[in-house]
Amino acid sequence: MRSSEIILDDKQEKSWLKYNLRRMRSQQQLLWMSIPFVIFICIFAYGPLWGWLMAFQNYKPGVSFFEQEWVGLDQFKMLFTDPDFLRVIRNTLAMSLICLILGFVGSIGLALLLNELKNVLFKRIVQTVSYLPHFLSWIIVTGIVADVLSTETGIVNVLLTKLHLISEPINFFADPKYFWGIVGFSSLWKEIGWGTIIYLAAMTSINPSLYEAASIDGAGRFRRMFSVTLPGIKSTITILLIINIGNILNAGFEVQYLLGNGLVQDVSETIDIFVLKYGINLGNYSFATAAGIFKSVISLVLIFMANGFAKSIGEERLI
Amino acid sequence: MKKSLGRTTTLFILTCLVFTVVLAGCGSNLQSKTKDGKELKEFSAFFAVPGKLAPEDNRILKAIEEKTGVSVTMDWLTGQTAKERIGVLIAGGEYPDFIDGSDGTQQLVAAGALVPLDDYIDKYPNIKNYLGSDWKKMKNSKDGHIYFIPQFGNIQGKQMNVTHNGEAFWIQKAVLEWGGYPTIKTLDQYFDLIERYKAAHPTIDGQPTIGFEIISYDWRYFALENPPLFLAGYPNEGAAIVDKKTLTALNYNTIPEAKAYFKKINEVYHKGLVDKETFTANYDQYISKLSTGRVLGMVDQGWQFLDAEASLVKQKLSERTYVPLSITLSEEVKGRYQHNPILNVNGGLAITKSCDDVEGALQYINDLLDPEIEILRTWGQEGIDYQVDKNGVFYRNEEQRANAKDPDWVLANTGSPLVYFPHHEGMTAKGKNTMDPKEQPDEYIATLNEIDKKVLKAYGYKKFTDFLEPAEENEPWFPIYTYNFAPNAPETIAKQKMDDVKRKWLPKVIMTPPSEFDKAWEEYQSTLKQNVDIKAYEDALTKEVRRRVDLWG
Repeated sequence: MRSSEIILDDKQEKSWLKYNLRRMRSQQQLLWMSIPFVIFICIFAYGPLWGWLMAFQNYKPGVSFFEQEWVGLDQFKMLFTDPDFLRVIRNTLAMSLICLILGFVGSIGLALLLNELKNVLFKRIVQTVSYLPHFLSWIIVTGIVADVLSTETGIVNVLLTKLHLISEPINFFADPKYFWGIVGFSSLWKEIGWGTIIYLAAMTSINPSLYEAASIDGAGRFRRMFSVTLPGIKSTITILLIINIGNILNAGFEVQYLLGNGLVQDVSETIDIFVLKYGINLGNYSFATAAGIFKSVISLVLIFMANGFAKSIGEERLI
Repeated sequence: MKKSLGRTTTLFILTCLVFTVVLAGCGSNLQSKTKDGKELKEFSAFFAVPGKLAPEDNRILKAIEEKTGVSVTMDWLTGQTAKERIGVLIAGGEYPDFIDGSDGTQQLVAAGALVPLDDYIDKYPNIKNYLGSDWKKMKNSKDGHIYFIPQFGNIQGKQMNVTHNGEAFWIQKAVLEWGGYPTIKTLDQYFDLIERYKAAHPTIDGQPTIGFEIISYDWRYFALENPPLFLAGYPNEGAAIVDKKTLTALNYNTIPEAKAYFKKINEVYHKGLVDKETFTANYDQYISKLSTGRVLGMVDQGWQFLDAEASLVKQKLSERTYVPLSITLSEEVKGRYQHNPILNVNGGLAITKSCDDVEGALQYINDLLDPEIEILRTWGQEGIDYQVDKNGVFYRNEEQRANAKDPDWVLANTGSPLVYFPHHEGMTAKGKNTMDPKEQPDEYIATLNEIDKKVLKAYGYKKFTDFLEPAEENEPWFPIYTYNFAPNAPETIAKQKMDDVKRKWLPKVIMTPPSEFDKAWEEYQSTLKQNVDIKAYEDALTKEVRRRVDLWG
C-alpha cells in the first residue's frame, strides 16, 4: 500500500515535470523575451534594496561600505520616539484618506454623469477641461490655490464678502482648521478628470442590452446608474481602491510643503516633510532610509489587508 | 537562424566600436590653440550654485584664455540642490578639475575628494598674497589641511560698497520725504512714522497701503526670527549672540530684547500696520506686493527684494524704493547692521583628486589674481568697456554704461563667469580704482536718479550705506552661523527643533490679542525649553567660539 503510493507520487511528479518542461519548450520564445524584463526588475527594483542596509548604519557619504558604523535599530528608535512622529503620521493618514475619499467619490460621480450625456461634443469638452489640471505641476497648482484664497484679491473671499456671507475676509492659510480641506479640494480639482477616464472606459464595456432591459422594466435614469452602471464598474473600483490603499502613507509632499506655513505646521507636515527636515536636511541619510522602510512595510501590510478583504467579500483582487 | 543572430551581434558590436573610435577621435581633435599656436590647457569646473552659461566666444573669456593659455569649461547647478548634485558626484567618484561645492563642500571634504593645498601655496606668490594671514582660518578643523580658496570677501585696500545688501529695517524714500527727512533710530520712531504716513495716505495708486511686511516663507523666515539680535546691537551672527567677555554663545530667543520686539510687533499688528497675510504669503506674493510700491517698510536682507526694487525703478516709481535704517530699541544702543566682509571658511574653490595637473590648475588661479587680469575680469578691455582719464582713473561713457546695464550684452561680452574663481574686492592693486565698476565713486553718482540724489542730499550722505553705522572690526569668531553643524548631533537636532517651535509660535504671539501677549510669550518660552535641547545647542556653539578665538584670535 505504502510503496505503491510512493510510486504513484513519483510517477505523478515525473509527469508533472515532463508536462512543465514540454510547456516551457513550446513557449520558449515567450520565456526568452521575458528575460530582459526580469533582469531589468532585478537591477532597478530589487538592486536598490541593498541601500536599505543604510538604515542600520550611521551612514557617512564617501566612506566605503565596510567602514560604515553599524548602529542596529537606533535610527528606528529615534524615529518612533520622536514626539513629532505620531503627529506627522496622523496628518499623513488624515490627508490621504480625505484625498482618497474625495477622489473616489468625485471621479466616480463625474464619470456617472458624463456617461449619461448624449451630446458628444459637450461631453468631450467637459472631459478635457476637467483633466487638464492633471498636467500642471503642484508648484503651479499651489500658486493658483494661494491666489484664489488670498484675502485681498482672492475670488473666494471676494465672492463671500460680496454675498455678505462674511464681513471680514478669511485668511485661509492662517487657521489650521482649513488646511486639510484646502489640500483635499486642491487635489480633487487637479485629479478629478484624470480619475474619471478609467471609469468611463470601464463603463463602455457594459453591455447596452442591460440598459435596454432595465428601461423596459421601468428603471429611470438614476435607477439605471445605480443598478446597471455602478455594479458594472465594481471590479474596476475595487482594484483601484486596493492600489490606492497601498499609497496611503504617501499623502504627498509638494502640496503640503508649498502651502504650509508656521501657523499651520501642526496639521500640514507629512512623513515626507518630516524626513526631509530631520533626515536629508540634517545630512542624516540613515534616518531617512529608516523612515522609508517603515513606509514600505506599512504599505505592503495595507495592500495585503485590502486584498484579503476583497477576497473575503468575493471581489476581484490584485494578487 | 543561429547564424544570422551571430552575424547581427557581430555587426552590432562593430558599430559600437566604430562609434566609440569616432567619438574618441572627436575629443582629441578638438584641442584648441591660442593665437601664437601654443596648446591650450583644458580644465573643467563645476560650481554648485545656479549660474548662467556664458557663450564660448565671450570676448573677455577669450582674452583671458590668450593670456593664461588655459580654457575652462564651466558648469553650474541646474534643477537640483547643491547637496544632491554633490552626492551624485561623490557616488560616481569622478569630479571636474575645479569645484565649488557650496552647501556640499563638507561632503566633498569628508569623501576625500579634494586635494590638500597647503604644500603648494608657497609656490604661487599671488595666491599666497591673496590668502594673506587668513590662511590659518582656512585650515580644516579636523586634519589641519587647506582644501579650498574662498573667492568672496577678500578686500584689497578698503571696502567700497555703495548699497546695503544685508539686513536692515527698510523704509520708502517717499515716506522719509513726507516726514521731512527725520532721523530714525528706534523701533518706536520707525513705527510712529509709518503709522502717521499710512493714516495720511490710506491708499497708494488706488490700493490699500501696507505698513509693514515680514517675509516668513520657507527658509526665508530669518526675517521674522532674527531682528532681536540686531536690536540688541549685535552684528549678523545668525545662530546665536556671543558674549564678548565670557566667550559664551547665547540663543537670542530668550533675551529681553526679543520679548520687547515681538511685543511691539504685536502692538502694531493690532493697529493694522502689519500686513494680515504676512505669515502666510509665499515669496512670490511678497515680491509682487513690494513691487506695487504700497508697502512702506519691512525688515529683511537687501538681496531678498532686489527684483522688487528693479521692478519699481522700471515702473518709474523710484520714490517707492527703500532706504536701510539702523534701528535699535533705544538710542543708546548702536546698530551693527553693517559688517566687514567675512571670509567664508566653509567653502571656496577647490581642486579635486580627478585633476591630473594640480600645479597647472593652481598656476591658472595664480594668473587670474594678477592685477592686470583682475582688471580685465571686472572692468573689461580698455577703450571698449571703459576709458581711463589722465590721472589713471577709470570711467565709462554713456554707451559703455548702457551696455553694462544690459544683461544679454554683459553675458555675451564681459560679465566674467570667472567670478567663482578667487578675486579681490575693494580697490585695484594700485589703489586708484575700485574693483567693481559700480562702486567707482564717480560712476556711482553718475548712475543715481533724481530722487536718490535728493534723499542723499537731505541727509548729507554720499551713498546709501551711510544710513547705517560703518562696520566695526569683526570679532575673531564672527559670524558664528558658519559653524558646521554635524549630521545627527544633538545640537543639529536642537537647531531644527528650535526652528519648528519658532515658526509656529512667533506668528502666534504676534497675532494674539495684546492683553494676552505676556501669557502667550510665557507659553512660547516654555515650549522652547521643553522641546529643544538648548543647552546642547549653546554648548556646541560656545565650544566653536572658543576654538576660533584660540585659533584665529
